[in-house]
Parts: sequence; structure tokens; C-alpha cells
Amino acid sequence: MPFLSFLVTQSVNALSQAALLFFLGVGLTLIFGIMRIVNFAHGTFYMLGAFIGYSAARLTGSFWLALVLAPLAVGILGALFELGILRRLYRRDESAFLMVTFGLALVLTELIRLGWGPEALPVGPPAAFSGILMLMGEPFPAYRLFLAGAGAVVALGIWQFLERTRLGLLIRATSQNAEMVHALGIDVNLVRSAVFGIGCGLAGAGGVLAAPLVTASIGMAATMIIDAFVIVIIGGMGSFPGSLLGAVLVAFVQVFGEYYVPDLALAFMYLVMLLVLVIRPGGLLGKEA
Amino acid sequence: MKSPAMMTRRTVLGVAAVGAAGLAMPWVRRAVAAEPIKIGAPLALTGPLGSVGQQLKRGCELWTKVQNAKGGLLGRPIQLLVEDTAGNPADAVRKAQEMVERDGCTIFTGITLSSEALAVVPKLDEWNAIFVSSDNGDGRLTAESFVPNFFRANISAPMGARAVSLFLRSAPYKNFYAIGMDYAWGRNSVSVFESEMKQAKKNFIGSVFSPIGTKDFSTYITKIRQSEADACYVTMAGDDYNAFLSQAAQYRLPEKVQLLSEVVDLTVPRAVGDAALGLISSMRYCFRVDNPKNKEFVETWKKEYGAVPDNNEGEQWQALQILAAGIEKAKSTETKALRSALETVEIDDIKGHVAIRKCDHQGVQGGTVVKLVKAEGFSSPVPEIIATFPGDKTVPACNKMTFED
Repeated sequence: MPFLSFLVTQSVNALSQAALLFFLGVGLTLIFGIMRIVNFAHGTFYMLGAFIGYSAARLTGSFWLALVLAPLAVGILGALFELGILRRLYRRDESAFLMVTFGLALVLTELIRLGWGPEALPVGPPAAFSGILMLMGEPFPAYRLFLAGAGAVVALGIWQFLERTRLGLLIRATSQNAEMVHALGIDVNLVRSAVFGIGCGLAGAGGVLAAPLVTASIGMAATMIIDAFVIVIIGGMGSFPGSLLGAVLVAFVQVFGEYYVPDLALAFMYLVMLLVLVIRPGGLLGKEA
Repeated sequence: MKSPAMMTRRTVLGVAAVGAAGLAMPWVRRAVAAEPIKIGAPLALTGPLGSVGQQLKRGCELWTKVQNAKGGLLGRPIQLLVEDTAGNPADAVRKAQEMVERDGCTIFTGITLSSEALAVVPKLDEWNAIFVSSDNGDGRLTAESFVPNFFRANISAPMGARAVSLFLRSAPYKNFYAIGMDYAWGRNSVSVFESEMKQAKKNFIGSVFSPIGTKDFSTYITKIRQSEADACYVTMAGDDYNAFLSQAAQYRLPEKVQLLSEVVDLTVPRAVGDAALGLISSMRYCFRVDNPKNKEFVETWKKEYGAVPDNNEGEQWQALQILAAGIEKAKSTETKALRSALETVEIDDIKGHVAIRKCDHQGVQGGTVVKLVKAEGFSSPVPEIIATFPGDKTVPACNKMTFED
């Protein structure tokens, strides 16, 4: 394989992986920015998205409908969780959130196992992207190209949403100074519910999109949530562009690292994180602590 | 023997109470006479290999139900004890110990992971208990870690790798690559395969190992493609296996490279669909074995669960059939008698002839190689048996994990 085509195909592939990581990381970082809590159930919402996506795709016969319905369902569930439970805990210290979100992750996982069974379930890519393309003379699955594109579109969309809409403005303001926003007569709780719901919905979308690559399975949450934490730490807790940068960086390091030094495949991501923490403890685009 | 004078007050009261109860309630006496045979199954019902544990549980439950309907064993009913270990060796030991101490259980089966089994076997002597493995593949259990109270009814990992390599001796593939999960089983299986290929004068190009929990296999798939191999040996399980096969199919890898593996469950084609088509693998139990006992078993299974029995479900059934044959031969469940009966037990059952050999307690049985194909009446690919090998070819020498020829 000529080096150039190798470089291009693996780069596009890294972008497709970055997209999946971004769907998880962005929600995690937005939630942290607004609420100062680490959502340990985030990976489980991602997994729930995959399972609901599986059922929705089977019932409607359409991957695209599943891609709309599953994130919506997961997002609503997330918002309800914030409304019903998290809201009661804001006066407590951070350990309360840790326990509650971790507990939710365990409960949701068992509910998924009860509802869908312990076996992994198939979700095929949409027909339009199930084929294979020749990219610089090398075969490349069309679905991965679609993933890279979807990631770019969603990143652009979230950026515009944060910059140009009123809710986006409120989210940015709340992350900087919640008390001031509250003093100006804005219902901060509503902003929090919205952000939690949006974050969970994005994780759910990530789950549906990942399912054609890894199937919908009980194990998918555990492996993904760690990567998402790493991204957020590298990019800077609470920083939207940071989560994008972190996702791209981690994906490229993983793809090329795995290829050249497979024995260290697992270590590369953490080496990058370590390096960032030493040089910029607050993350690449985060506020310095 | 205790003389009546030495009996404690509590014993006297106890005997009197049982006697009185027996006189007053005749059914109690019957229940005492037919004390159940307890079989303990500390299973990994949750955790990464939870689906395997669930299969073993189904196998245990249906067997117990069918056997009890026939009147149990030695005129005694069978009582199954199931506990979840989550695949954790320390929990497996603890749950088994509880069954010994609380329930007086001295017969075990179904322990799911080899790591759990390796933790349990050193305790068997202390517990005075027998363990009939239905699933544990690690070659060491009948080699360096062998203990006299352990019996392996199932096909081990070296036996599975051997069946595939025997098949490949007469297959048209020349250049081989291998990918395995980066832990003991993956590395062990690939190294057995590598030495088998070298002995068969095939060209073994190289291997790569992916960390457990790998989600993106594109770089590994690229490596396999670049190796110019015409076949690739895959030792994976669970989520990693499903992800690898899904993605390999999306890259159209199977069109260029024949995928081979040591073992495959029906859960794999159910999870990945047509991405599993064409995979050639050894299988420990395949529901399509053509003999009357197996046909009856498959029908019974379908009636109970609405699906055909899977790899580990058949293995669990066979393990319990071997245990039952041992109990009937010994006419007892007492550990010493049962052990010496099991040492020479032979059955003709769902997989055909199986004979436990005395030297390392391995069940000698034939090996099966299958190919996943489309078949009528099934929504996902199913195995088709393409080769079988007799037990004397696929079982390693006593207390060994590798093969001489």
C-alpha cells in the first residue's frame, strides 16, 4: 500500500472514530461546565441509545428514524433524571453526584439486560452507507466516511447553537457565573435540565452511530466512558472546543499508535493525557486551575 | 460409635423430634429417605462473559428438569444450586465454599471462566468435592494444575485449536496470519496454532494482539490485509469478537482472507448477522450433529426455550450426562466412590462417544470443524459441519497441552 493512500485512509478513519468519541465527550464536558458534576452514567446513556436504536430500527425498518428516535428518548430520560433526582442534590458536595450517577449507571445497565437480554444485538449500517468506496485505491467502508461527516456537522451545529441562540447564550453564561444569571431572573434549573438532556441525547446518538461498528452490547458503556473522560481531561473540563480537540487528538494517536506500535496500543491515549496534565493541568483549552 | 449415655441433650431432643414428626407425618419420612442430590453451579451470570454463564444455567436447568421427570438419580431428586460469580475468581471460590458449608454440596459443575476454575480446583480436596467442568478451556487444568477431583467433560482450548489445524492440513490455504485478544487465552491459542502451522510446513507470517475492549479494528484489519495472508486465525470472544467480525465485513476482508477461529457460539452470528458468513471454526458442540440422541435433545431444548441449543448449552448437557453416568455407576454420590466411577465412565450421547480417561480426567471425544452458512428457517448464519476428527487425534497426550506430530 503506498504510504500516501495509507495516510489518507487512516486519517479519515481516525476522524470517524473522533466523531464517536466527540458525541460522548461533548455532552460530558457541557454537563460538567454547567453543573460541575461528572456524570458517571454517561456511558450507560450511550449504551441505552444503541439498544433503543436497535429496537427502533427493527420496528420502523429505518436506521435514520432510529437515529432520531433513540437520542430523543435518551435525552428525555436524561432530563427527567436531572429534574427528579439530581436537582435535589445541588446543595450537597460532589460525592453525592458521584454516587448517584454511578448508581444510575448500574441500575440502567441491569434494566437494559432485563429488557434486551444479555446477548449483543445487530444493528446494520443504513443501506445508503453500507457499501465500500475506493479511497486512493484502497477499500474503505462508506459508513466510516459518513461518521466523519456526521461528526463534523454536529460539531458545527453545536458551535452555532452555543454562539447564536438564546439558550446557547444562557448555557455559556451559566457556566461562567450561575448566580449572576440567576440574579438576572433566568431559571437556571431549566438551563441545567436542558443541558443534561442535550448531553444525554448526544450520547444516545453516539450509541446508535457506534452500533453498526461494535453491535449493541452490555459491555459497550464501560469501554467508552473511560475514553470520554480522557478526552474531556485532555481538552479541558467544561470546554466545548476542548472536547472536539481532545476527540481528534485521541483518535489520531490511537489509530496511528496501534498501527506502528501495537503492543503499546492501550498506553498511547494515557501517555497523551499524562503529557497534557504535566504541561497544562487544566487541559489544552481549559481554564488553568 | 456413640453410646446412648454419651448422647448430648440436644441430640436426644433432635432424634425424638424427628421420630415424632416421622410418626405424625408420614411424608416427612419419605422426604428423608429420598434426600436430594445437590449439584452446585457457581456461574458468571453477569460481567463480560455473562452470556456464557446464562447458557450454562439454561443447560443445567433443563437437564435437572428432564432428569427429575425421569425420577432423578438413584431414586433421589436432583436439586440445582445456582449462584452468580460475575466472572470473578474470588467470588467463585466464595460462592462454592458457601454451597459446601451451608448446603452440604459436594458436586460442582458450570464454573464459567478458566480463571475461576483455576482458583477453585485447589480447594476441591479440602471440600471433599467433585467438579465436572463443562466449559473451562485452559489446557493447564488437565496438565500442570490438575487435581484428582477435577474432571473435564468439555473440549479444551488446545483440542479446539488442534481440530482447526488438522482441517487446515488438507485445505488450500498456504499463508497464515493470526489476531488474538491480548491476554492469556488469546496468546496461548495463537502460539499453539503457530506451532501447529509450522509443523504442517505452512507459512506463518505473523500475529497481532488487540487489547480487551478494543472498539476500532481498522488498523488490525489493515495489517491483516497488508500481510497478504490467504487465511487469518482469530482468537476472540464476546464484544471484541463481534466488533472485529462486523468491521472486517465492512472492509470486505473475508473476500480476500479466509477467517478461522478456535471456537464460535451461535451468539456471534446472531449479533453480527451476515458478517459471520463463511467463518470456519472449531465448535465444541454443534446442534446439527446427526444422531438420534442429539435430535431428541435439540427437540426438547426447542420446546423449552424456543431456540436451538448453543455451543455451551450442549457442553453443559453432556457434562451432566457424564456426571449422571458416574453417579449411577458408583451407586452413590460419596466423593471417593464417585471419583473412581467417573474415572472410567463412558457415554454415547449428543456428541457421540465420550470416554473419561483415568490419567488426567479429560473426556476423550471427537473434534468438529464448522463453516457458518445461510440455512432455511434461520434469520442469521448457522454452522454447517465440514469436518470431524476422532478423539485420539484431537486430544493431547496425558497431562500435555501441545501435540507431538
